[in-house]
Amino acid sequence: MSDVVVCQDVVKAYGDRQVLRGVSFAVRPGEVFGMIGPNGAGKTTLMECIEGLRRHDGGAISVLGLDPQRQTRELRERTGVQLQSSALPTRITVREALELFASFYADPADPRTLLERLGLADKADTYVEKLSGGQRQRVFIALALVNRPEVVFLDELTTGLEPQARLAIWDVVRDIRDAGTTVFLTTHFMEEAERLCDRVAVLDRGRVVALDTVPGLVARLGAPTRLSFTVEGELPLARLEALPDVSRVRREGQRVTVHGSGERFPQEVVGVLSQAGVWAKDLETERASLEAVFLELTGREPAAEAA
Amino acid sequence: MTAFARLTSALAKRTLRDPAAVFFMLAFAPFYAVVMGLIFGNDPRPEFGGVGYVDANLVDFSAIVVAIAGLVLVPIDLVGQRETGALRRFRATPLRPIAYVAADLLVRWVIALVGIGLMIGVGVLGFGARPEGSLAGVLIMAALGTLVFLALGYALTAVVPTLGVAQLIGNVLVYPLIILSGATVPLALLPAGVQAAAQASPLTQLVVGLQGAWAGTPAWTPVVALTGVLAAATLVAARYFRWE
Repeated sequence: MSDVVVCQDVVKAYGDRQVLRGVSFAVRPGEVFGMIGPNGAGKTTLMECIEGLRRHDGGAISVLGLDPQRQTRELRERTGVQLQSSALPTRITVREALELFASFYADPADPRTLLERLGLADKADTYVEKLSGGQRQRVFIALALVNRPEVVFLDELTTGLEPQARLAIWDVVRDIRDAGTTVFLTTHFMEEAERLCDRVAVLDRGRVVALDTVPGLVARLGAPTRLSFTVEGELPLARLEALPDVSRVRREGQRVTVHGSGERFPQEVVGVLSQAGVWAKDLETERASLEAVFLELTGREPAAEAA
Repeated sequence: MTAFARLTSALAKRTLRDPAAVFFMLAFAPFYAVVMGLIFGNDPRPEFGGVGYVDANLVDFSAIVVAIAGLVLVPIDLVGQRETGALRRFRATPLRPIAYVAADLLVRWVIALVGIGLMIGVGVLGFGARPEGSLAGVLIMAALGTLVFLALGYALTAVVPTLGVAQLIGNVLVYPLIILSGATVPLALLPAGVQAAAQASPLTQLVVGLQGAWAGTPAWTPVVALTGVLAAATLVAARYFRWE
């Protein structure tokens, strides 16, 4: 199957302000593709260009083989959209909203099944504006799924939600992927990208500065990793420090912490220990997180979570 | 159900769930007719050319409904929906934008006309009002006038920047227009200069048209004037309407 979304050198400016400066990447069928980046990196602008809600100035975008600017109606039929600041007209119930949006499409999903799938069945007769943040966000996900889309775009879908609601939404996104729909999401929560995305692109100042799986990003950056264990007896300190991927070895009583980088270094450490006949207990590795990658690539802390 | 039917039904429900819309579009005119009828009765009076108060003034009350429905309710609701992003959500579907506008207009038009119909029913059945002209003519005139003011509401929605400005302009416009229309205070009581200026108001033209239709002295001027305003408002709305 060919790629679901393909962007090539996409450029977009608002007046003098260059927002996208040549963005290229491809989203593969069936994956959860995440786009992370600092606020103002251009995530939402890029997503809206892909959705056909905004015109890009240059470069090429293809979604399911369609041109979002020219084949907008067919694109709308086959894609699902959850906008960053979503709202519905007031005084409409959840059921009415779903039935209404279902009527806009040629081959919609059954609204009742969708409500059950998203855990909204008991809220069907409630006005959308009376729901909690997490429930409302599930309504907007339901609206994005009502046309049985081949790919669904979710822009900052857990921003402003409580941790509990966020976990529930993550389960929903995994269900969508498991049902065969490709998911393209933006987020500024590193944990969300780590837990949810098969591949992550880092967008910074209008460019994709990295794109890989989360472990791939961490490994490629050579971000530091820590390995700690407890030893009884003599530690082969010199041999450990001589390992090329090891940067530092620290010992506090019986507990030893080895700092290093690269994917192979924990195994090398263990290899040295077993050659020396040293028995290591309570072995723990602590891998660098996506947060460290983000900091390294963009020079900025990920945006703090809005309280 | 087709998208348009489903949309019309959803918009009708949400409009009828809005207490302000129900009051001003449906309940206000019949209620006003009852109150005025009870106060003034409908006995023939010389100052009304030999007809009663209700016969002479009933159709004028429609102007109040039409002005509030168009100039106040439309901008507040639609600018509000534009500001929350509700209108934008529809843009992300295959629905044609014009279908949304058409369904919204249809719903408001029918509800306002039902309110006006109820008001005429109160006048005729409750106070024995009888048109010299034709009820059909009155209803056609009311239908045209409602459409004109809904279009003006859409034009206003298109040009105002924020909800606050929409509320301000709606209220600043609507009360002078109602007073100048002759629907509340007889125009004859106003100074001559004000009376002349009032003729330029589309709401005054609507009242003149409604009275002509009721009294059996129809005139073309109000129809032409209102059609012109309708065309101008539609142009402004079509040119400047924003979904976000």
